Amino acid sequence: MRIEALNIKKVFPAPVFSGITPLRALDGLNLAAGPGVTGLEGPNGSGKTTLFKVLAGILEPDGGKVTVDGQTAGARRLRGLAAFCPPNPRSFYYRLSVLENLRFFGALAGLSPARSAEGARALGARLGLCAADLERRFDRLSEGNMQKVSLIRAFSRRAPVVLLDEPFHALDEKACAGLVALIAETGRAATVLLSSHSPALLAAAADRTFRLEAGRATAP
Amino acid sequence: MNSARIILAFIRKDFLAEKSYRLSFALGALATIGNLAVFYFIGRLFGAGLAPHLAPFGTDYFGYVFAAMAFFGYIGTGAGSYAGRLRQEQTQGTLEAALSTPLGIIPMLAAMSAWNFLFATFELAVYALAGIFIFDLRFPAANWPAAALVFFLSAACFAALGIISACFVMLFKRGNPVAWVLNNFEGLLGGVYFPAAVLPGWLAAVSGALPVTYAVRAFQLAVHKGAGLTELKGDLLVLAVFDLLLIPASVWLFGLAVTRARKAGTLGEY
Repeated sequence: MRIEALNIKKVFPAPVFSGITPLRALDGLNLAAGPGVTGLEGPNGSGKTTLFKVLAGILEPDGGKVTVDGQTAGARRLRGLAAFCPPNPRSFYYRLSVLENLRFFGALAGLSPARSAEGARALGARLGLCAADLERRFDRLSEGNMQKVSLIRAFSRRAPVVLLDEPFHALDEKACAGLVALIAETGRAATVLLSSHSPALLAAAADRTFRLEAGRATAP
Repeated sequence: MNSARIILAFIRKDFLAEKSYRLSFALGALATIGNLAVFYFIGRLFGAGLAPHLAPFGTDYFGYVFAAMAFFGYIGTGAGSYAGRLRQEQTQGTLEAALSTPLGIIPMLAAMSAWNFLFATFELAVYALAGIFIFDLRFPAANWPAAALVFFLSAACFAALGIISACFVMLFKRGNPVAWVLNNFEGLLGGVYFPAAVLPGWLAAVSGALPVTYAVRAFQLAVHKGAGLTELKGDLLVLAVFDLLLIPASVWLFGLAVTRARKAGTLGEY
């Protein structure tokens, strides 16, 4: 599946009477990805997370469009096609166990409880999250293990488009290696986009890498 | 996507989260009985002194307030729970995660407050058991099918008001004029703690514009006097009109609010 961002513009309005200028996050960005693994690099505030959210259908762009295999795809369709792993773990129910969190978000994505549990165990083993951690309450995990749960949530959807925003954040070396292998495997069947501030990890995981700067992408 | 599976997933998630706060769970049930006791003793203090205003309902003060509180406690769940749940999801950071899935607006609305309605049903059962076994209340004349119809129409109407209230939370996070009106004036003007007939003329006019007034009056008449469709048709018609207007409007407005939040990039904000 090929996903394209065509002349995407996104401006975040400033609060009324705040005196702050609106934030131009994406400024006519063009980018095409897939099939395979595509990397995104760029400084903080260059628009990577905003781009991921537009491609995931979470944010509506102010201008431009996203196409999937040449067909214009609205936010609703994108939410059905893309699995998104956000850059921080503040998107889980902290008082629920890991398995219960994955079961809940799996249900929202159309997965049965059995498939969510099976995905959690299989992916957990590959990322170094043990069975006891799956039963543990989310707020009792380390930050690295929280990140693994976030990755499991995205990968277990088996979506045709997988968007990973800073997926290596807080992971140890072994988990990073496991994730690189998982990304390569997923990239054989799906379109994977990932961002990282580590050139070495990007080089290991992605077939090619775009650079984002001031809301625009530069082709590799 | 299977809506029943979504609703069950929300109920399970909310139940587990509530259960993790064990003391709060138990205190909630005790508070229900405590509230009733307050009105029981007020009723004993005044005895039949309020009878003229209660005469149309054929019951004493405690019987009146018991039925109104049990009824309003349930239908009020719809009014308050949507905004409350949404706000909770915003502060936890889970709203954006939930709305990054293919979850549609209608399944979301059906699922979001499902646990609150289940818990309200449990509270209703506590009310009923407390009424029968602790306060020795009986409703020999009750027309339960008519009461159920009033209940259904009222719950739908208040759920729609709750969804409209949630639109403000979606857009402004804090500061919710609909919740403010519902919390501060429905009890005062709607005849929950005393019959609306007690109100002076100008307040009675405001009371007449609120669905709760028709809902509480019709429910009281059905439960205490055994009123049927013929006696209740005026109140039922008003509630049905409120439903016809408010239900589609609330779903439409909530969809607009979500789209607006997606545009402004505020789904993840609190």
